[in-house]
Amino acid sequence: MTTAPIQLDTYKLGFIGAGKMAESIARGVVQSGVLHPSRISTAHSNPLRRSAFESFGVKVFSQNQQVVEDSDVVIFSVKPQVVKDVVLQLQPLLSKKKLLVSVAAGVKLKDLQTWAGSERFVRVMPNTPAAVGEAATVLFFLCTLFFHCACFCLVMSLGGAATEADGELISKLFGSVGKIWKADEKLFDAITGLSGSGPAYVYIAIEALADGGVAAGLPRELALGLASQTVLGAASMVCQSGKHPGQLKDEVASPGGTTIAGIHELEKDGFRGLLMNAVVAAAKRSREFSN
Amino acid sequence: MTTAPIQLDTYKLGFIGAGKMAESIARGIVQSGVLHPSRISTAHSNPVRRSAFESFGVKVFSQNQQVVEDSDVVIFSVKPQVVKDVVLQLQPLLSKKKLLVSVAAGVKLKDLQTWAGSERFIRVMPNTPAAVGEAATVMSLGGAATEADGELISKLFGSVGKIWKADEKLFDAITGLSGSGPAYIYIAIEALADGGVAAGLPRELALGLASQTVLGAASMVCQSGKHPGQLKDEVASPGGTTIAGIHELEKDGFRGLLMNAVVAAAKRSREFSK
Repeated sequence: MTTAPIQLDTYKLGFIGAGKMAESIARGVVQSGVLHPSRISTAHSNPLRRSAFESFGVKVFSQNQQVVEDSDVVIFSVKPQVVKDVVLQLQPLLSKKKLLVSVAAGVKLKDLQTWAGSERFVRVMPNTPAAVGEAATVLFFLCTLFFHCACFCLVMSLGGAATEADGELISKLFGSVGKIWKADEKLFDAITGLSGSGPAYVYIAIEALADGGVAAGLPRELALGLASQTVLGAASMVCQSGKHPGQLKDEVASPGGTTIAGIHELEKDGFRGLLMNAVVAAAKRSREFSN
Repeated sequence: MTTAPIQLDTYKLGFIGAGKMAESIARGIVQSGVLHPSRISTAHSNPVRRSAFESFGVKVFSQNQQVVEDSDVVIFSVKPQVVKDVVLQLQPLLSKKKLLVSVAAGVKLKDLQTWAGSERFIRVMPNTPAAVGEAATVMSLGGAATEADGELISKLFGSVGKIWKADEKLFDAITGLSGSGPAYIYIAIEALADGGVAAGLPRELALGLASQTVLGAASMVCQSGKHPGQLKDEVASPGGTTIAGIHELEKDGFRGLLMNAVVAAAKRSREFSK
């Protein structure tokens, strides 16, 4: 049985869960011109949340059922703790003509598909750690990130009946809020160890670079400003230049210069290995949670 | 004697040295709308470099002398080894009405001012991510450069990233941090990707996630206004995956290695200055 493709020019998008995550994605989609706001809807009773969405042209219903009936693509953006109940409740309306998406941290495709009675599901994993307790804090903090810059890490995994075209549609939607990759769901623990927990390693690195600057004589404020901007610039170079980081390093380390002197300090004491250890340990802890 | 202010609406900008750094800065200035390209000029004989600049509207002369005569603000963007000879050669044309700028690493204001016969100099230290508009730049004002001159330069270099003002005596430390710092991060990104591969990820995904993660985290520090230690606390939940990773870094002195790198690079920079 062939899955009916979603019509790209006319499909309607609905958000079940009108929180900060949904707002970030909706704003990104509208701002980038991917969809006109009239093609987007959500539901909420709270007037503050209603006006947050209505302010940029999104339709706000009173009930989730109305959102599902109106939409071809449905994004479940409720908290992980409630997604099961919400999906079960809407299950009668979730026909195979609809493409279903979940951004709930830690909730597996297998379960989503069972609750929905449909395998046309795509799971999008933002970089949040597996521990549920962290999800709310991190989601909020990540949403602040959405508002400031579209430099978010997202990985998506296709369910049993989601087509390649479905994947491309989701890529385009989420591409407006950050970078998105496709991966097998079984890589989730490794992804958590790297991009889920990674930001913390970078915060530590920035603080240490600033401390190094202060040790070398800089006032704290200047040291911290330079440290964070330097890390931002270097990462931008890797993301935008298309060059291997090793090549970029070679290009800036001139013979007998200051840069290679700094690099030598890092290499001789196994700096690279410490970062590998961190990613591997975090991935291992994530696997322990899954079991 | 009052220094004649540079007219903001009409001043012309010239680059002596039409290399990659000049190109990055010129592109940033034009893209951000700070100056119309018709107000910018440089000089080069090589047709490839000429067309690089002409392609976005910058005027290209054949001689440096023409650039200086045409400009009110002159940026010396030649390699440090040749800046002395270049400035000495142009000295007769460098009136005090012109604002002079140098981006040459390790070359002091005292020397630049002597060679130019003018103290209206500003020394600027950008770093290589100027190429993608995310430079960390620091400037130091010379003897006769005014506050208004400083603001003009701030605006120009603000178009390729962030800029701070600091005393010239801090420039060695700045070199060790923002000058050499990008290399430490390239290594960190490669190591994070290797960690991802060790944990089972395919290389392309690991490298993409590693670079994007570092970019996002640095953006959070820059934009949230929060201390990095606080941001770290906010994401490290009890017994979670993040604190497990952090523990690996802390127990083997990760922070100390980065401090060592900055201090060693600053020390090498000081040795060059002698």
